[in-house]
Amino acid sequence: MADIVGLTIDDKEVQAPEGMNLIDAAELAGVHIPNLCYLKGMKGIGACRLCLIEIEGLKAPMIACNTKVKEGMVINTKTEKVLEIRKFVIDLILSMHPLDCMTCTKAGVCRLQQYAYDFGIKESSFTRKRFGYPADEANPFIKRDPEYCIICGKCVHICKAQGTSVLDFMGRGVEAKVITANDRPLQESGCTFCGSCVDVCPVNALLEADRWRKGREWEYEKVNSVCLLCGNGCEITVSTKEGSIQKINAGAAEGSAERYICAYGRFGFDCIEAETRLTHPMKRINGELKETTWEDALRTVADKLKRSGKDVGFISVAGIVNEDALVLKKFVKDVVKTENVNTTMSLYADSDSLRKSHTADIDDADLVFLVGLSPSQRERILPALDAAIRKKVNRGLKLVVINSSEAKIAEASTISLKGDEVSNLKAIVRVLIDKGFKADKEIESSVKDAEVSEDIEKAASLFAEAKEPLIFSSPSLFWASANISLLKGKIISVALESNARGVALMGLTTEGKTYKEMVGTAESKEQSAQSGVKVLYAVGEVPLNKRPDGIDFLIVQNSHLTELAQQADVILPSATFLESAGTIIDYMGRLKYLPQIIEPQGASKSHRDIFIHLSKIIGSPLKRPAEAEVKKATRVKTKLSFSPFVKKEGFDISPSELIDSINASVINGSRLLWLKEIERAMAV
Amino acid sequence: MRADIKIKVCMGPSGIATGGADVIEAFKNEINSIGKKAIIEERCSLHQVGCLGFCAKDVLVEVVVDGKKTIYEYVKPGMVSRIVKEHILEGNPVTEWIAGEEYYNFHKKQIKVVLSNCGEIDPEDINAYLAVGGYEAARMALTLMSPEEIVEVVKSSNLRGRGGAGFPTGLKWDLSLKIKSDVKYVICNGDEGDPGAFMDRSVMEGDPHSVIEGMIICAKAIGSHQGYIYVRAEYPLAVKRLQIAINQCYEAGLLGENILGTGFDFDLKIYQGAGAFVCGEATALMRSIEGKRGMPTPKLWRSAEKGLWEKPTVLNNVETFANIPRIILKGADWYSSLGTERSGGTKVFALTGKMKNAGLIEVPLGITLREIIYDIGGGIENGRAFKAVQTGGPSGGCIPAELLDIEVDYESLALVGSIMGSGGMVVLDETDCMVDIAKFFLEFTQAESCGKCIPCRVGTKRMLEILNRITVGNAKEGDIELLEELGQDIKVTSLCGLGLTAPNPVLSTIRYFRNEYEAHIKDKKCPAAVCKDLITFSILEEFCNGCGACKRACPADAIIGKRKKIHKIDPEPCIKCGTCFDVCKFNAIMKM
Ligand SMILES: Cc1cc2nc3c(=O)[nH]c(=O)nc-3n(C[C@H](O)[C@H](O)[C@H](O)COP(=O)(O)O)c2cc1C
Ligand code: SF4
Ligand code: SF4
Ligand code: SF4
Ligand code: FES
Repeated sequence: MADIVGLTIDDKEVQAPEGMNLIDAAELAGVHIPNLCYLKGMKGIGACRLCLIEIEGLKAPMIACNTKVKEGMVINTKTEKVLEIRKFVIDLILSMHPLDCMTCTKAGVCRLQQYAYDFGIKESSFTRKRFGYPADEANPFIKRDPEYCIICGKCVHICKAQGTSVLDFMGRGVEAKVITANDRPLQESGCTFCGSCVDVCPVNALLEADRWRKGREWEYEKVNSVCLLCGNGCEITVSTKEGSIQKINAGAAEGSAERYICAYGRFGFDCIEAETRLTHPMKRINGELKETTWEDALRTVADKLKRSGKDVGFISVAGIVNEDALVLKKFVKDVVKTENVNTTMSLYADSDSLRKSHTADIDDADLVFLVGLSPSQRERILPALDAAIRKKVNRGLKLVVINSSEAKIAEASTISLKGDEVSNLKAIVRVLIDKGFKADKEIESSVKDAEVSEDIEKAASLFAEAKEPLIFSSPSLFWASANISLLKGKIISVALESNARGVALMGLTTEGKTYKEMVGTAESKEQSAQSGVKVLYAVGEVPLNKRPDGIDFLIVQNSHLTELAQQADVILPSATFLESAGTIIDYMGRLKYLPQIIEPQGASKSHRDIFIHLSKIIGSPLKRPAEAEVKKATRVKTKLSFSPFVKKEGFDISPSELIDSINASVINGSRLLWLKEIERAMAV
Repeated sequence: MRADIKIKVCMGPSGIATGGADVIEAFKNEINSIGKKAIIEERCSLHQVGCLGFCAKDVLVEVVVDGKKTIYEYVKPGMVSRIVKEHILEGNPVTEWIAGEEYYNFHKKQIKVVLSNCGEIDPEDINAYLAVGGYEAARMALTLMSPEEIVEVVKSSNLRGRGGAGFPTGLKWDLSLKIKSDVKYVICNGDEGDPGAFMDRSVMEGDPHSVIEGMIICAKAIGSHQGYIYVRAEYPLAVKRLQIAINQCYEAGLLGENILGTGFDFDLKIYQGAGAFVCGEATALMRSIEGKRGMPTPKLWRSAEKGLWEKPTVLNNVETFANIPRIILKGADWYSSLGTERSGGTKVFALTGKMKNAGLIEVPLGITLREIIYDIGGGIENGRAFKAVQTGGPSGGCIPAELLDIEVDYESLALVGSIMGSGGMVVLDETDCMVDIAKFFLEFTQAESCGKCIPCRVGTKRMLEILNRITVGNAKEGDIELLEELGQDIKVTSLCGLGLTAPNPVLSTIRYFRNEYEAHIKDKKCPAAVCKDLITFSILEEFCNGCGACKRACPADAIIGKRKKIHKIDPEPCIKCGTCFDVCKFNAIMKM
């Protein structure tokens, strides 16, 4: 913990941690120091000059964003001089600004508008000037309108900090502006459309493209939730108006390295109303899928399940909430009475690694080991992890990448260890033991012939010096990596779906047939053929396009009409994660709540409601799970012990293919399709 | 007659511009052609020397026969054969071309420390530098002195940074010395972005070894093993000569590992900057070397603690470093006694503007402006009246005639609203409009502002707009006050030195020449008759003899009149180009 220092801000006594800047410290005292270029959590860059304040004993005013608290400091944020300076700065900005607040989408949340209001500046006292720069509107996500830009530089800095580096400054004097490389449209500049720049822009220069006259911030209702589209499970803030979603922003706390969402999370919500959205149950009649009533569909399914019993197999995605997972588990085991239930998690992780992972917070870490993982914003493989690590590296985090294949993020690493991961892990443990770390005999003997290189030495030294080292490992290398965490620090097995950890903790794992056996992709053909599953019940958007051979009856329960659904016998329309409530355990082990944000489309229902209905029809009614039940399931002891240094086999699914496949309806049913096409065109 | 003959041709910045290379070529050819009479050729050596410091008289050629110096001025290639024939062959200097009294006056009040080698030795030859005691100071520092001792000498010499701000150099080194770090950097700032400045360039081109030696001594003092010289790419000759000098040092064991066998290592590299004024600012310069955009960053730390790549760094100006070897050799007392109590030593200035003798000068600090302008500079050209002197370039201010007796040092210049700056000194006479001068400098800073912070980016633009409307006669009552207000605000709110000082030229001209601003605003007149929109041209009947020269020259056909009759200017088509004013031999054109 940092030491606490005492200071006085506008006559208020404040206790602030050492190293904190004055803007944040003032916030603690309830004093807002106006600022336009400060990004919480990042070093103040001193561009806007609005945060100048006076410190007693110093002649010149100082910028609060880049001045740290000191014991006994006395700060005045509202002296005559300071107020004059602020007014002057705002006045200057306004002299370069369109001032069309009456139609500006940003009105109400625009910082510039707020400060102009605070100072009562209606019009700049200088002659106004406009450049007539064209807006970049060539993409359906982000509109960049340089006319409004006040060159605070926030977008440039956030984009650089998270490693995308699409935006930069160009030109000198008043001609200075923010551009992409060669001033090309965003889609030709390597932009991933994560929209981080939109989240930080204090004015109307960067905005969601579709917002013109679609309502302003004060008309929105804002709800915090979680994106379930990939393994990061990012926090989001959803804005709705009259029951429909208008936009989604990053929801993690300001200043947190995790404050990021990708284009899927931000713009994928269009898919809720896509053409392929299922709003009614459907049933195959005379070879053709026809709309039907819930009553009829559920009866048909119940009948089938009851009659087939052990021949039924359930497959599900691992992006369903804990409550759905618990009910599904009971439904399978207690109602249908089969052992055959498995999720897509089994394609990339063993549930034990997820159950035994620690609970951590990347903002606390000072060293990260990234083992066998290649997070990438461009490929949208755990993009938020990629962004968070890069941002943290900018703030001083040390990164060690241990990966036998090329990992783009290695460019941000302090040390990158190529070659066989297991040997490298062993060697690191060996050096650590040499350095005096206590370890079991078993560990000692298994690493004694490990080969040590200079880089290994360095990586081990970093680990030894770190206060809070954190290991992110691919599940296949979890057990080998965990041996390091026996010495110090925490370890996380990083899954590819948002609630893989929750699903594992809820115990939704098979005791019967495996996922691959049920869908007929198991290593040996015989295994698949003999799986014996005749009725397949698919929950969520499973990565499966073809009805497996040997399946007599296929039930698809999903929000969208997928290729697989088109081959189903019964389709049960489910709500999306924005339309039903629940909880997940994210990859870091944190319990996160998802409120229901909008009503489900049409007649769609949450997964658990569907199972509960079915259970009633079958005659052994299930109840909605109590909160305590979820909590209880999450309580596991993460006591790790030595395990052999080996890489677990069988988890060879391509992460990007899996993620695109489980999100196919989101992509195809939203403006993300445009992006995918551009990316494909760029790739050739 | 075995006379030792040397011919030195000024190849400094203005020397090259006026054809120094052609003159050298001519000497080579002449000497070659007479070289057939073998004796003479053997005795001649040709030097390309740095600036001789008398730019107004270029090309300057120094001919030394038997140790006796003769300086020729305004030498053209065509004059060379006569000099070679009469002076070198026959031993009779060509008296009518010899530099006159002015040349000697120009040198009388100067003290050459930094410039002592410029023009005297061949900058591309390390032996020439060694022959005048070069690298003796480095040897002393490396073998006989502890870091603390070096710092102590520099401290008590009272040397202050010559890059503009005048921070005490010894103190800067001391701060850096006291910080423990394996990696430290020494950087030489050779960006020299001020318009019209060529002090640092002359040193880098004329005596590159002295800069390198100063850096080696600094490296030893603070414990650094890597140095950079940041030179703007627009100075190719400086880059070339520095590189030659660095290579020679590596060969001679003065750079690299185990320098002079002392076990001390120091590597030195040149970094070529893109030539932006703001890149001369310490933090922007360091970002630029780091490969980032040259934008200033707020200083949470002194560079001494966290500079280049967040490592302790000492950044000094070219001239600052060039002083160091001399201070080490001759002692702190000698150096400090040259200057004033607060600022030791000498300062190089680039004298430009309306003086008789423009050029590069080096004077002891504490000299008065009057001595510089009248004794060294020879007063104003064409007998016009002195009006003001602008010091410190775009960051400085204008000092009026009544303050000519102030002593030149950091504090007194600041007191009168200007700054010492890096040594630009522009002399203005009655034909200069102060509003126009202020506008010139502000145009420069506005265009060079990096655009990061709002006061500088937008504020200077707003000031410029007001100046513009003053010079075209559209100003409003209250514009002067608005300028003052804006200027004061920009001066407290900007992020870096560029913005913090940008209003100085405007504020100082308002301070001393407010009536001139008022004349522009209230009477719509430019007293110096410079601002085109505020002047009219007319013909004085009593002087016009109807020669018609003006009529023929006028590009706008604005002059009417029959031959031998009085001519007239029609104000409508007149574009105020001033051609008639220049061509009239009878002073009949009036501009006001
Ligand atoms: C806009 C701006 C431009 C500058 N340009 C130069 C320059 O060209 N050369 C220089 O030596 N110092 C320049 N400086 C000053 C440097 O920031 C720094 O103070 C100096 O190099 C330190 O060296 P010194 O202590 O030896 O003077 C400039 C400062 C500013 C604000
Ligand atoms: S676009 Fe927005 S965030 Fe970026 S510099 Fe301009 S005002 Fe700042
Ligand atoms: S990174 Fe993953 S969880 Fe985060 S917004 Fe994107 S898809 Fe959603
Ligand atoms: S004062 Fe001017 S040059 Fe300096 S940081 Fe601000 S905008 Fe850039
Ligand atoms: S917030 Fe401090 S300068 Fe902009």
